[in-house]
Amino acid sequence: MNSDVHKLLRLKRYEHPTPDYFERFIDEFHDRQRSELLRQPAWKLAWERLVDSLPDLRVPRLAYAAVGAAAVAVSALILISQQDQGLPATTLALNDPRPMVNVLPPGRGDVRLPVSSRSDFPPHYVLEARPVSYESPYSF
Amino acid sequence: MAEVAEEQEINDVDLVARTQDGDPRAFDDLVRKYSPRLYGLVYNMTSNHEDTNDLLQDIFSKAYRSIRGFKGKSSFYTWLHTIATNMTINFLKKRSRTRGLSLDDVDNGIHHDPDFIEMTSGPDARREVNLKELQTRLNEAMMKLSNEHRAVVTMFDIQGMPHAQIGKILGVSEGTVRSRLFYAHRQLQNHLQEFLIP
Repeated sequence: MNSDVHKLLRLKRYEHPTPDYFERFIDEFHDRQRSELLRQPAWKLAWERLVDSLPDLRVPRLAYAAVGAAAVAVSALILISQQDQGLPATTLALNDPRPMVNVLPPGRGDVRLPVSSRSDFPPHYVLEARPVSYESPYSF
Repeated sequence: MAEVAEEQEINDVDLVARTQDGDPRAFDDLVRKYSPRLYGLVYNMTSNHEDTNDLLQDIFSKAYRSIRGFKGKSSFYTWLHTIATNMTINFLKKRSRTRGLSLDDVDNGIHHDPDFIEMTSGPDARREVNLKELQTRLNEAMMKLSNEHRAVVTMFDIQGMPHAQIGKILGVSEGTVRSRLFYAHRQLQNHLQEFLIP
Protein backbone atom coordinates (compact mmCIF):
# COMPACT_ATOMS: atom_id res chain seq x y z
CA MET A 1 0.00 0.00 0.00
CA ASN A 2 1.27 3.46 -0.86
CA SER A 3 1.07 5.28 2.51
CA ASP A 4 1.54 8.80 1.06
CA VAL A 5 -1.40 8.32 -1.30
CA HIS A 6 -3.35 6.75 1.55
CA LYS A 7 -2.71 9.78 3.82
CA LEU A 8 -3.74 12.17 1.06
CA LEU A 9 -6.96 10.28 0.34
CA ARG A 10 -7.87 10.19 4.02
CA LEU A 11 -8.19 13.98 3.88
CA LYS A 12 -11.31 13.50 1.78
CA ARG A 13 -13.12 12.54 5.01
CA TYR A 14 -13.30 16.26 5.77
CA GLU A 15 -15.60 16.91 2.82
CA HIS A 16 -19.10 17.09 4.34
CA PRO A 17 -22.53 18.40 3.47
CA THR A 18 -23.90 21.12 5.77
CA PRO A 19 -24.82 19.90 9.30
CA ASP A 20 -28.60 20.13 8.80
CA TYR A 21 -28.43 18.11 5.58
CA PHE A 22 -29.20 14.72 7.17
CA GLU A 23 -32.30 15.92 9.03
CA ARG A 24 -33.65 17.44 5.82
CA PHE A 25 -32.71 14.22 4.05
CA ILE A 26 -35.01 12.10 6.22
CA ASP A 27 -37.92 14.51 5.65
CA GLU A 28 -37.34 14.32 1.90
CA PHE A 29 -37.19 10.55 2.18
CA HIS A 30 -40.62 10.44 3.84
CA ASP A 31 -42.12 12.69 1.15
CA ARG A 32 -40.67 10.52 -1.53
CA GLN A 33 -41.96 7.29 0.03
CA ARG A 34 -45.48 8.69 0.15
CA SER A 35 -45.42 9.87 -3.46
CA GLU A 36 -43.89 6.56 -4.59
CA LEU A 37 -46.69 4.58 -2.98
CA LEU A 38 -49.23 6.68 -4.82
CA ARG A 39 -47.46 6.36 -8.15
CA GLN A 40 -46.53 2.67 -8.26
CA PRO A 41 -49.05 0.15 -9.62
CA ALA A 42 -49.87 -2.71 -7.24
CA TRP A 43 -48.50 -5.37 -9.61
CA LYS A 44 -45.07 -3.68 -9.59
CA LEU A 45 -44.90 -3.66 -5.81
CA ALA A 46 -46.02 -7.31 -5.69
CA TRP A 47 -43.44 -8.30 -8.32
CA GLU A 48 -40.63 -6.53 -6.46
CA ARG A 49 -41.57 -8.29 -3.22
CA LEU A 50 -41.64 -11.66 -5.01
CA VAL A 51 -38.18 -11.08 -6.51
CA ASP A 52 -36.82 -9.99 -3.14
CA SER A 53 -38.21 -13.06 -1.42
CA LEU A 54 -36.26 -15.36 -3.76
CA PRO A 55 -32.89 -16.59 -2.45
CA ASP A 56 -30.02 -14.25 -3.12
CA LEU A 57 -28.04 -16.16 -5.74
CA ARG A 58 -24.92 -14.79 -7.33
CA VAL A 59 -25.23 -16.40 -10.76
CA PRO A 60 -22.11 -15.79 -12.83
CA ARG A 61 -22.59 -14.35 -16.30
CA LEU A 62 -20.94 -17.43 -17.80
CA ALA A 63 -23.82 -19.53 -16.46
CA TYR A 64 -26.28 -17.40 -18.41
CA ALA A 65 -24.10 -17.80 -21.52
CA ALA A 66 -23.96 -21.59 -21.03
CA VAL A 67 -27.75 -21.83 -20.64
CA GLY A 68 -28.19 -19.66 -23.75
CA ALA A 69 -25.80 -21.83 -25.77
CA ALA A 70 -27.57 -25.00 -24.61
CA ALA A 71 -30.94 -23.55 -25.66
CA VAL A 72 -29.57 -22.73 -29.13
CA ALA A 73 -28.09 -26.24 -29.47
CA VAL A 74 -31.37 -27.93 -28.46
CA SER A 75 -33.34 -25.75 -30.90
CA ALA A 76 -30.91 -26.63 -33.69
CA LEU A 77 -31.23 -30.37 -32.90
CA ILE A 78 -35.02 -30.19 -32.98
CA LEU A 79 -34.96 -28.38 -36.34
CA ILE A 80 -32.52 -30.90 -37.82
CA SER A 81 -34.56 -33.87 -36.59
CA GLN A 82 -37.73 -32.36 -38.10
CA GLN A 83 -35.95 -31.92 -41.42
CA ASP A 84 -34.75 -35.53 -41.26
CA GLN A 85 -38.31 -36.73 -40.77
CA GLY A 86 -39.35 -34.77 -43.86
CA LEU A 87 -36.67 -36.27 -46.13
CA PRO A 88 -38.05 -39.82 -46.57
CA ALA A 89 -41.29 -38.39 -47.98
CA THR A 90 -39.32 -36.62 -50.73
CA THR A 91 -37.29 -39.73 -51.34
CA LEU A 92 -40.42 -41.81 -51.53
CA ALA A 93 -41.90 -39.41 -54.03
CA LEU A 94 -38.77 -39.58 -56.15
CA ASN A 95 -38.68 -43.35 -56.00
CA ASP A 96 -42.38 -43.73 -56.59
CA PRO A 97 -42.87 -46.23 -59.46
CA ARG A 98 -46.19 -44.70 -60.44
CA PRO A 99 -46.30 -42.41 -63.52
CA MET A 100 -45.71 -38.71 -62.69
CA VAL A 101 -47.49 -35.64 -64.04
CA ASN A 102 -46.52 -31.94 -63.88
CA VAL A 103 -49.19 -30.19 -61.77
CA LEU A 104 -48.17 -26.62 -62.75
CA PRO A 105 -49.45 -24.92 -65.93
CA PRO A 106 -47.07 -25.10 -68.91
CA GLY A 107 -44.16 -22.71 -68.62
CA ARG A 108 -44.63 -22.15 -64.84
CA GLY A 109 -42.15 -24.73 -63.65
CA ASP A 110 -41.98 -28.43 -63.05
CA VAL A 111 -43.59 -29.97 -59.96
CA ARG A 112 -44.34 -33.63 -60.57
CA LEU A 113 -46.72 -35.72 -58.49
CA PRO A 114 -47.60 -39.38 -58.94
CA VAL A 115 -50.81 -40.12 -60.80
CA SER A 116 -53.22 -42.04 -58.58
CA SER A 117 -54.74 -45.15 -60.04
CA ARG A 118 -58.37 -46.02 -59.46
CA SER A 119 -57.39 -48.65 -56.96
CA ASP A 120 -55.73 -45.99 -54.73
CA PHE A 121 -58.85 -43.87 -54.20
CA PRO A 122 -62.39 -44.81 -55.21
CA PRO A 123 -63.89 -42.08 -57.41
CA HIS A 124 -66.12 -39.50 -55.76
CA TYR A 125 -68.61 -37.18 -57.42
CA VAL A 126 -70.78 -34.36 -56.17
CA LEU A 127 -74.35 -34.18 -57.42
CA GLU A 128 -76.50 -31.24 -56.34
CA ALA A 129 -74.12 -30.54 -53.47
CA ARG A 130 -74.47 -34.12 -52.18
CA PRO A 131 -71.36 -36.26 -52.42
CA VAL A 132 -71.92 -39.67 -53.91
CA SER A 133 -69.58 -42.59 -54.41
CA TYR A 134 -69.47 -46.22 -55.46
CA GLU A 135 -68.83 -47.21 -51.85
CA SER A 136 -71.74 -48.66 -49.94
CA PRO A 137 -73.15 -46.26 -47.36
CA TYR A 138 -72.52 -46.87 -43.66
CA SER A 139 -76.11 -46.20 -42.69
CA PHE A 140 -79.36 -47.20 -44.14
CA MET B 1 -13.93 -2.25 19.39
CA ALA B 2 -15.29 -5.73 18.59
CA GLU B 3 -17.83 -5.38 21.41
CA VAL B 4 -19.07 -2.09 19.97
CA ALA B 5 -19.45 -3.68 16.53
CA GLU B 6 -21.34 -6.62 18.05
CA GLU B 7 -23.64 -4.28 19.97
CA GLN B 8 -24.33 -2.31 16.80
CA GLU B 9 -25.12 -5.53 14.96
CA ILE B 10 -27.63 -6.60 17.64
CA ASN B 11 -29.21 -3.17 17.45
CA ASP B 12 -29.45 -3.50 13.64
CA VAL B 13 -31.05 -6.95 13.91
CA ASP B 14 -33.72 -5.50 16.20
CA LEU B 15 -34.35 -2.49 13.94
CA VAL B 16 -34.54 -4.70 10.84
CA ALA B 17 -36.97 -7.11 12.54
CA ARG B 18 -39.20 -4.21 13.60
CA THR B 19 -39.12 -2.77 10.07
CA GLN B 20 -40.04 -6.16 8.65
CA ASP B 21 -42.96 -6.25 11.09
CA GLY B 22 -44.17 -2.96 9.61
CA ASP B 23 -42.74 -0.33 11.98
CA PRO B 24 -41.55 2.52 9.71
CA ARG B 25 -39.92 4.40 12.65
CA ALA B 26 -37.44 1.54 13.01
CA PHE B 27 -36.39 2.09 9.40
CA ASP B 28 -36.02 5.83 10.09
CA ASP B 29 -33.52 4.92 12.79
CA LEU B 30 -31.59 2.84 10.27
CA VAL B 31 -31.63 5.76 7.81
CA ARG B 32 -30.36 8.15 10.51
CA LYS B 33 -27.65 5.71 11.48
CA TYR B 34 -26.37 4.88 8.01
CA SER B 35 -27.04 7.96 5.89
CA PRO B 36 -23.81 9.82 6.82
CA ARG B 37 -21.72 6.76 6.03
CA LEU B 38 -23.53 5.94 2.81
CA TYR B 39 -23.39 9.59 1.83
CA GLY B 40 -19.59 9.39 2.09
CA LEU B 41 -19.51 6.23 -0.02
CA VAL B 42 -21.68 7.64 -2.81
CA TYR B 43 -20.22 11.16 -2.69
CA ASN B 44 -16.65 9.94 -3.00
CA MET B 45 -17.64 7.78 -5.94
CA THR B 46 -19.57 10.49 -7.81
CA SER B 47 -17.82 13.72 -6.67
CA ASN B 48 -21.20 15.38 -7.03
CA HIS B 49 -23.47 16.46 -4.17
CA GLU B 50 -26.75 16.58 -6.15
CA ASP B 51 -26.21 13.13 -7.68
CA THR B 52 -25.34 11.80 -4.22
CA ASN B 53 -28.53 13.20 -2.73
CA ASP B 54 -30.70 11.64 -5.48
CA LEU B 55 -28.89 8.32 -5.32
CA LEU B 56 -29.08 8.15 -1.55
CA GLN B 57 -32.85 8.60 -1.74
CA ASP B 58 -33.01 5.79 -4.34
CA ILE B 59 -30.80 3.53 -2.23
CA PHE B 60 -32.86 3.84 0.96
CA SER B 61 -36.04 3.54 -1.03
CA LYS B 62 -34.80 0.31 -2.61
CA ALA B 63 -33.61 -0.98 0.78
CA TYR B 64 -37.01 -0.28 2.32
CA ARG B 65 -38.84 -2.10 -0.46
CA SER B 66 -36.44 -5.07 -0.29
CA ILE B 67 -36.04 -5.41 3.47
CA ARG B 68 -38.55 -8.25 3.69
CA GLY B 69 -36.14 -10.29 1.56
CA PHE B 70 -33.24 -9.63 3.94
CA LYS B 71 -32.65 -12.95 5.72
CA GLY B 72 -29.66 -11.93 7.82
CA LYS B 73 -27.12 -14.10 5.98
CA SER B 74 -24.79 -11.10 6.03
CA SER B 75 -24.91 -8.11 8.38
CA PHE B 76 -27.39 -5.36 7.54
CA TYR B 77 -24.37 -3.05 7.12
CA THR B 78 -22.92 -5.29 4.37
CA TRP B 79 -26.31 -5.76 2.71
CA LEU B 80 -27.01 -2.02 2.61
CA HIS B 81 -23.51 -1.17 1.36
CA THR B 82 -23.87 -3.78 -1.40
CA ILE B 83 -27.10 -2.15 -2.59
CA ALA B 84 -25.45 1.29 -2.42
CA THR B 85 -22.32 0.25 -4.31
CA ASN B 86 -24.21 -1.60 -7.06
CA MET B 87 -26.66 1.24 -7.58
CA THR B 88 -23.89 3.84 -7.65
CA ILE B 89 -21.83 1.87 -10.16
CA ASN B 90 -24.91 1.37 -12.37
CA PHE B 91 -25.68 5.08 -12.13
CA LEU B 92 -22.12 6.03 -13.07
CA LYS B 93 -22.19 3.74 -16.11
CA LYS B 94 -25.24 5.62 -17.39
CA ARG B 95 -24.12 9.12 -16.36
CA SER B 96 -22.63 11.43 -18.91
CA ARG B 97 -18.87 11.65 -18.69
CA THR B 98 -19.03 15.42 -19.08
CA ARG B 99 -20.82 15.92 -15.76
CA GLY B 100 -18.76 18.30 -13.63
CA LEU B 101 -17.74 18.19 -9.98
CA SER B 102 -20.10 19.53 -7.33
CA LEU B 103 -18.13 19.41 -4.12
CA ASP B 104 -19.10 19.81 -0.48
CA ASP B 105 -17.22 22.21 1.76
CA VAL B 106 -14.12 20.97 3.52
CA ASP B 107 -14.53 20.80 7.28
CA ASN B 108 -12.23 23.16 9.22
CA GLY B 109 -11.10 20.14 11.22
CA ILE B 110 -8.67 19.38 8.40
CA HIS B 111 -6.35 22.09 9.75
CA HIS B 112 -5.82 19.99 12.87
CA ASP B 113 -5.25 16.75 11.02
CA PRO B 114 -1.66 15.50 11.60
CA ASP B 115 -1.27 14.41 7.97
CA PHE B 116 -2.43 17.78 6.68
CA ILE B 117 -0.17 19.61 9.14
CA GLU B 118 2.76 17.46 8.06
CA MET B 119 2.03 18.19 4.43
CA THR B 120 1.68 21.93 4.78
CA SER B 121 4.25 22.85 7.44
CA GLY B 122 7.56 21.68 8.84
CA PRO B 123 10.92 21.21 7.14
CA ASP B 124 9.70 18.80 4.46
CA ALA B 125 6.52 20.69 3.60
CA ARG B 126 5.90 19.79 -0.05
CA ARG B 127 4.39 23.09 -1.08
CA GLU B 128 2.04 25.83 -0.03
CA VAL B 129 -1.24 23.96 -0.29
CA ASN B 130 -4.35 25.74 -1.38
CA LEU B 131 -7.13 23.75 0.24
CA LYS B 132 -9.63 24.28 -2.57
CA GLU B 133 -7.05 23.27 -5.14
CA LEU B 134 -6.11 20.15 -3.18
CA GLN B 135 -9.77 19.17 -2.92
CA THR B 136 -10.36 19.66 -6.64
CA ARG B 137 -7.24 17.75 -7.60
CA LEU B 138 -8.08 14.86 -5.28
CA ASN B 139 -11.58 14.58 -6.73
CA GLU B 140 -10.35 14.86 -10.31
CA ALA B 141 -7.78 12.14 -9.67
CA MET B 142 -10.45 9.90 -8.15
CA MET B 143 -12.71 10.39 -11.15
CA LYS B 144 -9.93 9.18 -13.45
CA LEU B 145 -10.13 5.73 -11.83
CA SER B 146 -12.56 3.10 -13.09
CA ASN B 147 -15.77 2.79 -11.07
CA GLU B 148 -14.64 -0.51 -9.52
CA HIS B 149 -11.23 0.87 -8.50
CA ARG B 150 -12.82 4.04 -7.10
CA ALA B 151 -15.21 1.95 -5.01
CA VAL B 152 -12.31 0.08 -3.42
CA VAL B 153 -10.31 3.26 -2.76
CA THR B 154 -13.36 4.97 -1.24
CA MET B 155 -14.11 2.09 1.10
CA PHE B 156 -10.51 1.38 2.13
CA ASP B 157 -8.65 4.70 2.10
CA ILE B 158 -11.44 7.14 2.90
CA GLN B 159 -13.88 5.08 4.95
CA GLY B 160 -11.34 2.78 6.59
CA MET B 161 -13.07 -0.54 5.91
CA PRO B 162 -11.03 -3.75 6.17
CA HIS B 163 -10.26 -5.72 2.99
CA ALA B 164 -12.50 -8.63 4.00
CA GLN B 165 -15.51 -6.37 4.46
CA ILE B 166 -14.93 -4.70 1.08
CA GLY B 167 -14.66 -8.13 -0.54
CA LYS B 168 -18.03 -9.15 0.93
CA ILE B 169 -19.70 -5.95 -0.25
CA LEU B 170 -18.34 -6.23 -3.79
CA GLY B 171 -18.66 -10.02 -3.98
CA VAL B 172 -14.95 -10.48 -4.77
CA SER B 173 -12.02 -12.08 -2.95
CA GLU B 174 -9.70 -10.21 -0.60
CA GLY B 175 -6.93 -10.77 -3.14
CA THR B 176 -8.95 -8.94 -5.78
CA VAL B 177 -9.53 -6.06 -3.36
CA ARG B 178 -5.78 -5.82 -2.66
CA SER B 179 -4.82 -5.94 -6.32
CA ARG B 180 -7.40 -3.27 -7.22
CA LEU B 181 -6.04 -1.09 -4.42
CA PHE B 182 -2.47 -1.56 -5.60
CA TYR B 183 -3.36 -0.61 -9.17
CA ALA B 184 -5.51 2.37 -8.08
CA HIS B 185 -2.78 3.74 -5.78
CA ARG B 186 -0.26 3.55 -8.58
CA GLN B 187 -2.58 5.53 -10.85
CA LEU B 188 -3.36 8.09 -8.14
CA GLN B 189 0.33 8.52 -7.42
CA ASN B 190 0.85 9.63 -11.01
CA HIS B 191 -2.05 12.08 -10.89
CA LEU B 192 -1.16 13.56 -7.49
CA GLN B 193 2.61 13.68 -7.89
CA GLU B 194 2.92 17.35 -6.86
CA PHE B 195 1.32 16.71 -3.45
CA LEU B 196 3.53 13.72 -2.64
CA ILE B 197 7.11 13.50 -1.34
CA PRO B 198 9.48 13.40 -4.34
